[in-house]
Amino acid sequence: MSSGPSPCITWVDERVQVTVECCGVASRIAGAEHLAVVLPEAATVLDLFEVLAERSTEMAELLARCACARGDAIVPRGTQLADGDELALLPPVAGG
Amino acid sequence: MQQQDTPRIQSTPLSLDVLLAHTERADCGALAIFAGTVRDHHEGRAVRSLTYSSYARVAEKLIRDIEAEIAARFAVPVCRAVHRVGALGIGETAILAIARGAHRAETFAAMQALVEAVKHRVPIWKEEFYADGSSAFVNGCTLVAAEDLPPAESRLHCTPTQSIES
Repeated sequence: MSSGPSPCITWVDERVQVTVECCGVASRIAGAEHLAVVLPEAATVLDLFEVLAERSTEMAELLARCACARGDAIVPRGTQLADGDELALLPPVAGG
Repeated sequence: MQQQDTPRIQSTPLSLDVLLAHTERADCGALAIFAGTVRDHHEGRAVRSLTYSSYARVAEKLIRDIEAEIAARFAVPVCRAVHRVGALGIGETAILAIARGAHRAETFAAMQALVEAVKHRVPIWKEEFYADGSSAFVNGCTLVAAEDLPPAESRLHCTPTQSIES
């Protein structure tokens, strides 16, 4: 009998789960202030955006002008994500 | 009084007196002050109130980075900006920005650059509430990195207000 990991555990290990805080108008369009998204291993911010864009046409249009933050920094779309990352979706800004 | 580091994003009313007291400098002969207040109209619509929100983790860092950048560019010792979040009524102060320098020319220029940078580069959002009961987020500047933008896209205010009615 094999002593290796079960297929179920292997499946979980090959994915990353991130949470996304939807700021400003993004929360209205997403219909939630926080989203949990499961992505393939080595997924990037761009991969995340492609998944989120499937929620609606309006969301896809907004994402084209959204930045992504991780921690206290805005990260490029090529940034690779890690399991447990806490991200924020930053729509165009209008302070002042 | 020595400069004190205080939050740049605040949910309580902004105080010019506190800002001035925290940034006093004996070597500065010029002080430029800007206050942005909530007005009662926007693009022909009567505005009753605003709600500002921010992503504070990035906003706090970016405002400090901008202050340092502008202070270095214009050679002024003090640049400081604070922005209010939460529900604001007409006439309330949304942003205070000050610069202190040896002379007026560079101090005026630094203060103006500081305000523009905070408006365009810091994750703060404004939702307007109108007299007819509707509301809308004001569209502004994208924070998307230049390399991630389509070739024709501009970072600055390039589109009319895009309202998401609610």
